[in-house]
Amino acid sequence: MSQTYRLNNSGQINRDKKISFKFNGKKYFGYEGDTLASALLANGIHLVGRSFKYHRPRGFFGAGVDEPYAIVQMVRNKETEPNVRATEQELFEGLEAKSVNCWPSVNFDIGAINNFFNKFLPAGFYYKTFMWPKSFWYRIYEPFIRKAAGFGVASTKYDSERYEHKYEYCDLLIAGSGPAGLSGAYAAAKNGASVILAEEKPRFGGSLLTSEVNIGNQSGKDWAEKIIAELKEMPNVTVKNRSQVFGYYDHNMLVMSEKVSDHLPKTKKFSPKQRLWYIRAKEVLISSGSIERPIVFGNNDTPGVVLASAAKEYLKVYGVLVGKKPLIFTNNDSAYETAIEFKKNGIDPIILDSRNAPNSEIIEEAKNLGIHIKFSYVVVVANGYKKVKSAQIAQISPDKKNLGKIEKINCDCICVSGFWTPTIHLSSQSGNKTKFDEKIDAFVPGKSKQNETTVGSANGIFNLEETISTSFEKGYQLSKKITNNDNKVSVPQVSEKKFTNHDKFWCVPLPNKKNFKRFLDFQNDVTVSDIELALREGYRSIEHVKRYTTLGMATDQGKTSNLNGLQLVSDVENKVVPSVGHTTFRPPYTPVSIGAIVGREIGKHSKPTRKSPMHSWHEKNNAVFVDAGMWLRPRYYKKANEGLFEASKREAANVRKNVGVCDVTTLGKIDIKGPDAAEFLNRVYTNAWLKLPVGKARYGVMLREDGIVMDDGTTTRISENHYHMTTTTAQAANVLSHLEYYLQLVWPELNVNVVSTTEQWAGAAIAGPKSRRLLQKLFPNKDLSNEGLPFMGYSDGDLFGVPTRIFRISFSGELAYELNVQSDFGNFMWEKIIELGNEFGIQPYGTEALSTLRIEMGHVAGSELDGRTIPYDNGLDGLISRKKDFIGKRSLNREAFIAKSRQKVVGVVPLDKKTSIPEGSHLVKDASAKLPNPKLGHISASCWSVEYNNPFSLAIVKDGKNMIGKKLYALSPLKNKSIPVEIVSSHYVDPKGERVRS
Amino acid sequence: MQKYSVFSLFKNALKGHKDWEVAWKDPNPKEEYDVIIIGGGGHGLATAYYLAKEHNITNIAIVEKGWIGGGNVGRNTTILRSNYMHDENGLFYEKGMELWRNMSQELNFNVMFSPRGIINLAHSDAQMNAYARRGNSMKLNGIDAELLGREEIKKLVPILDFSENVRFPIFGGLMQPSGGTARHDAVAWGYARQADSMGVDIIQHCEVTGFDVVNGKIKGIQTSRGNIKAKKVGLCVAGSTSVLAEMLNMTLPLETHLLQACVSEPIKPILDHVVTFGAGHFYCSQSDKGEMVMGGDLDGYNSYAQRGNLPTLQHVLTEGIAMLPFLSKLKMLRTWGGIMDMSMDGSPIIDKTHIEGLYLNCGWCYGGFKATPVSGWTFAHTIAQDRVHDLNAGFNLNRFNTGHLIDEKGLGTKTWIS
Amino acid sequence: MLYIFCPHCGLRSQNEFAYGGDGSVKRPTLNKEVSDKEWDNFVYNRKSPRGKHVELWHHISGCRQWIKVQRDTVTHEIFKTVSADKEI
Repeated sequence: MSQTYRLNNSGQINRDKKISFKFNGKKYFGYEGDTLASALLANGIHLVGRSFKYHRPRGFFGAGVDEPYAIVQMVRNKETEPNVRATEQELFEGLEAKSVNCWPSVNFDIGAINNFFNKFLPAGFYYKTFMWPKSFWYRIYEPFIRKAAGFGVASTKYDSERYEHKYEYCDLLIAGSGPAGLSGAYAAAKNGASVILAEEKPRFGGSLLTSEVNIGNQSGKDWAEKIIAELKEMPNVTVKNRSQVFGYYDHNMLVMSEKVSDHLPKTKKFSPKQRLWYIRAKEVLISSGSIERPIVFGNNDTPGVVLASAAKEYLKVYGVLVGKKPLIFTNNDSAYETAIEFKKNGIDPIILDSRNAPNSEIIEEAKNLGIHIKFSYVVVVANGYKKVKSAQIAQISPDKKNLGKIEKINCDCICVSGFWTPTIHLSSQSGNKTKFDEKIDAFVPGKSKQNETTVGSANGIFNLEETISTSFEKGYQLSKKITNNDNKVSVPQVSEKKFTNHDKFWCVPLPNKKNFKRFLDFQNDVTVSDIELALREGYRSIEHVKRYTTLGMATDQGKTSNLNGLQLVSDVENKVVPSVGHTTFRPPYTPVSIGAIVGREIGKHSKPTRKSPMHSWHEKNNAVFVDAGMWLRPRYYKKANEGLFEASKREAANVRKNVGVCDVTTLGKIDIKGPDAAEFLNRVYTNAWLKLPVGKARYGVMLREDGIVMDDGTTTRISENHYHMTTTTAQAANVLSHLEYYLQLVWPELNVNVVSTTEQWAGAAIAGPKSRRLLQKLFPNKDLSNEGLPFMGYSDGDLFGVPTRIFRISFSGELAYELNVQSDFGNFMWEKIIELGNEFGIQPYGTEALSTLRIEMGHVAGSELDGRTIPYDNGLDGLISRKKDFIGKRSLNREAFIAKSRQKVVGVVPLDKKTSIPEGSHLVKDASAKLPNPKLGHISASCWSVEYNNPFSLAIVKDGKNMIGKKLYALSPLKNKSIPVEIVSSHYVDPKGERVRS
Repeated sequence: MQKYSVFSLFKNALKGHKDWEVAWKDPNPKEEYDVIIIGGGGHGLATAYYLAKEHNITNIAIVEKGWIGGGNVGRNTTILRSNYMHDENGLFYEKGMELWRNMSQELNFNVMFSPRGIINLAHSDAQMNAYARRGNSMKLNGIDAELLGREEIKKLVPILDFSENVRFPIFGGLMQPSGGTARHDAVAWGYARQADSMGVDIIQHCEVTGFDVVNGKIKGIQTSRGNIKAKKVGLCVAGSTSVLAEMLNMTLPLETHLLQACVSEPIKPILDHVVTFGAGHFYCSQSDKGEMVMGGDLDGYNSYAQRGNLPTLQHVLTEGIAMLPFLSKLKMLRTWGGIMDMSMDGSPIIDKTHIEGLYLNCGWCYGGFKATPVSGWTFAHTIAQDRVHDLNAGFNLNRFNTGHLIDEKGLGTKTWIS
Repeated sequence: MLYIFCPHCGLRSQNEFAYGGDGSVKRPTLNKEVSDKEWDNFVYNRKSPRGKHVELWHHISGCRQWIKVQRDTVTHEIFKTVSADKEI
């Protein structure tokens, strides 16, 4: 198909480069520099989609970000992407696009049946029906509605594209490169400020690309090009096109999305698809321009009804005619430019102007060109279903309430202009209130809350001369404020045609006995009568109107509909617009790709991975890893066909019988130094610390101020004023912050310093009856006897030249040691242990065996210290000092905490000694009691006792201390399990603790 | 009151929808009421409705600073569930689920109750165990729950990331099949319409500026529209409770925090359940309109702003893509923020106060929407009978003193990280 | 994203900091009898003002100092920051 709506010579496209693309399976051609919209229009395609609710035919309404209709499914480089706005998508070779929300095709859409029932589908109809029978909503109606709703289809494949983030700081960020933005940027840049100038479109210049004005003795477009070229050369300026500043956040943080590659057939190597910029700007100049708003009339959603400014943009930028028999319908002068542009290209437009014989320079020009103008005329209704075929027009009374005789006029498009709405989104997001400007019937920014200034038409200034002079001035002033420079450039001469006032008219009344649909929100199918119904039913706040009718909630976010909606509410309610108010402007200004927001933190990199220095050894030795926070820890080392259960049993049994080694690098380690360190520990832990001798370790429990156990671990006195604290893997960061809080804020008088050394030390726990013999091999010259290094003792060591810390501490309940060396030597240490341990039958053990060993010893860990338990619950009440105060002590005497029947940790053994009790089971008296069945406690941890070769669990049970010997049931209804159990002591193995001291 | 049905819709359509009545009136305040409910959100409206319906008290005013339903009932991710571990929560929210199931019919307003099932994903055995503890507790409390393995989850929600290229693979999950969603605004409007029809005055744009307390007894309130006398006053202003409490010289175990949520552009159905990510804090469902509705962490500092910052959403969406990779090619369409009463143990407060006739309903953290009916139901009972109901007895204010805390997450008083 | 002045490091983005809650709360002195009310006011009860709020931030990805910040909870404007040993 040829481009029959393409003009031969106008436009800013590259006619030397023809581009082929597909739409709904058919091949078309366009040119480099086209958008998908302009290329389709050049080919005479107006029907692109169907509306949300009634599935009415939809075409193009705008030419940019405000487009409410033209949403397509796009394929780029074999990846499908839903909801792409055709007016923003630049054409590239091989682009494929499809209509959405229609079946079987956009030309024949079954869903359009809704349009015939539209009488029964007014605003909020779904709240009034679909209620009977009760289950039908979820089973029948909802699935049906869900299928009908939605636009595009998400790709189920991975997004292979790359998205990047960039952080920038600048003196002045300028959002929008129209006349205001260029002026501000130029003045500020020349005054030495660092400037970022952002333009959402591919071309810089904004309105200057399409307007007939003169700046500094050249056309507006040439002037824009000259300024941009100059700015690009300046080292203090960053100029970015295809870059939308979409959010204004706290403390002058703005976020911009740059479409780096969306206009290319394929993203280039080492380049992202999109880049998200976090920009901290000292000052912001908002020059985001304004968006034309429509006048509302009957069937104003018919394809072929377009904004007059969009028609002009298609003509001047793309050399495309939106129609060959245009009807221009306006209430102001700006649409005359569109008409003149048509005329200059040999097309005869007809202008309907709702005003009664206005007078201005541009109207004179139109008259002189012989353009047919009908004053006090309006479009009543557009005729045509899939494309405008004609219009019914009529004269309108001066009060705009009565229509004259209806006449029919042939046309193939209607270019509508209801004046301009400043784009105040960014200013509003900054926290500013808005104020209503009666002169322009629209809201403009109120007083600035952050460091931002709005200029040009975004500020309601529609006079180019004023825009340019104020923007130059602002650019100069703001840059002077920041840089203290004082280089002021001269403001160029501006000449433009003077416009006269617009008509405060926005909606054509219905002719007698006619009930045409008059659309406000085109995408969501919200009509004038919908708003009227909402108001009639008492949904009178503008937020209620929005939510009840869905006005402005579509993907265009109401850029062309919100203000007309407000006008309607104010008319019906007899209020002025400002007292109706408006809904809140929130980021993003336009929808932003979620991939771009997320950036590089995807897949394996969604969170960091922490690995111990011995990680590669574990990998080589068939470790199966488990996530422990950000850490990866060996869970077990797989041998032959073993599963988790067999392997962990083998590893644990080997610790009880011979000796095992476990990587404990992940434990949190904190170095504590200072003359008051002992006093500090004494306040942090529940037990006494003042008398711990040098060379000794002690187990401690620390609480939150609310009395709940925060963490446990051992701390060792390395020297007089030097302690080494260990924390659990999970709480390492929290404990450090906790200590710093008390040292810096609560007890600054204590002379103590703390620093995390978790990464500095590699740790290995060597446990089992043969551990001393192994250790002696590792440290041949050391006295490792009970006297030389007793339980809870500490000593320095020399591991074949590597300085080592030796702690005699045990989590497994066996005779055990922990070795720490500098991380760099971690692997050396580990390999030495394995090498010399071979003769003792050493095996590495993972976290699962570690759990087994601690469970059967009755040592509490994360599953008991779950942020809800106090020391008593965990059998740690013996560690509470009565003599001293400590963090959280005051909370321990609360009613619930001292109750006689307080929960306590116990052991649980199944009566049959065979059935493992699933963790998370609950203990009850009566397995078949009616629900809710009162729970006595829960199974916190389970293992297969390698000591007794039967299942064993820990549980936290109400009145735990009096439950020993009781017979209960462990219920896991999730797994249909009911297991008779006996409550025993939690210290199942070696209750007297003899082994650790052996 | 007009009945809503397919027949009334049909009848009205033929008359051009000119005969629909207002859903609620807009009266001026009277001089005195038996009960004033402060806050025209979901909880306040529900409380008034149940006071009228269950306790025959109809001389009630709901006093709302802005427009009804403008707070968190209109700013949430519409999730309904009762998948709690602690009995106090489980039994309370399950009563709520019972009320949800009948709400459309009871209110004659389609609130689009959609029990599509809510799935909490687990990413480790430890997490599976924690979910087992919670799920078993639910089952023993008569609440439906299923512990699902990886393959079962894959069958239900194949669109989740089951590939090797993940940081935290999916181990399984806990599902409450009867959990789901509802249309949030409709809940507020449905309660408002019924309460109005039973004689409740819904007074919008009326800001409370003070309280009249004489000898430890409430006598009325001061508002931007004059003083209004009342025998009893109930506070349902989650998010702003601390501000009103200050007028009463009360300091509560609450902090106000900001929670953001966002939706994508609408797409064709792809996710039929509500799914939450277990290796972080992200939840997602697809609305009937086709938008992916997403939320996660608090912005993390005290705020009354209803406007958040992007890094929080970035963090939330990072977890979103980790769970649902297809989100990458969608666009974020709308974001919003709500302000929450974060209580110091993560559970709500529904109780009497030391002031006679003054009742407190607050501390909903970010779980208030699903509680709307049962919160109203129990609060109405508490106000009408001047004593707590068994279902809200645990949610007393005194628990912070006695230590009978209800801490589902075990995070304690750091409200901003919970 | 907030821009927080660390008295030790200068202006830094919020993502370097961890929040620490109400900075006006004072821990009762050790070894001193405190009433239930005093204790609950320390552990649980918060004014949570709408407006100026003195709060703690911890510069965890910086100097690791706790600092005090006076910030408006409605506009998020920061008026003042001081080091841990000073009062606002």
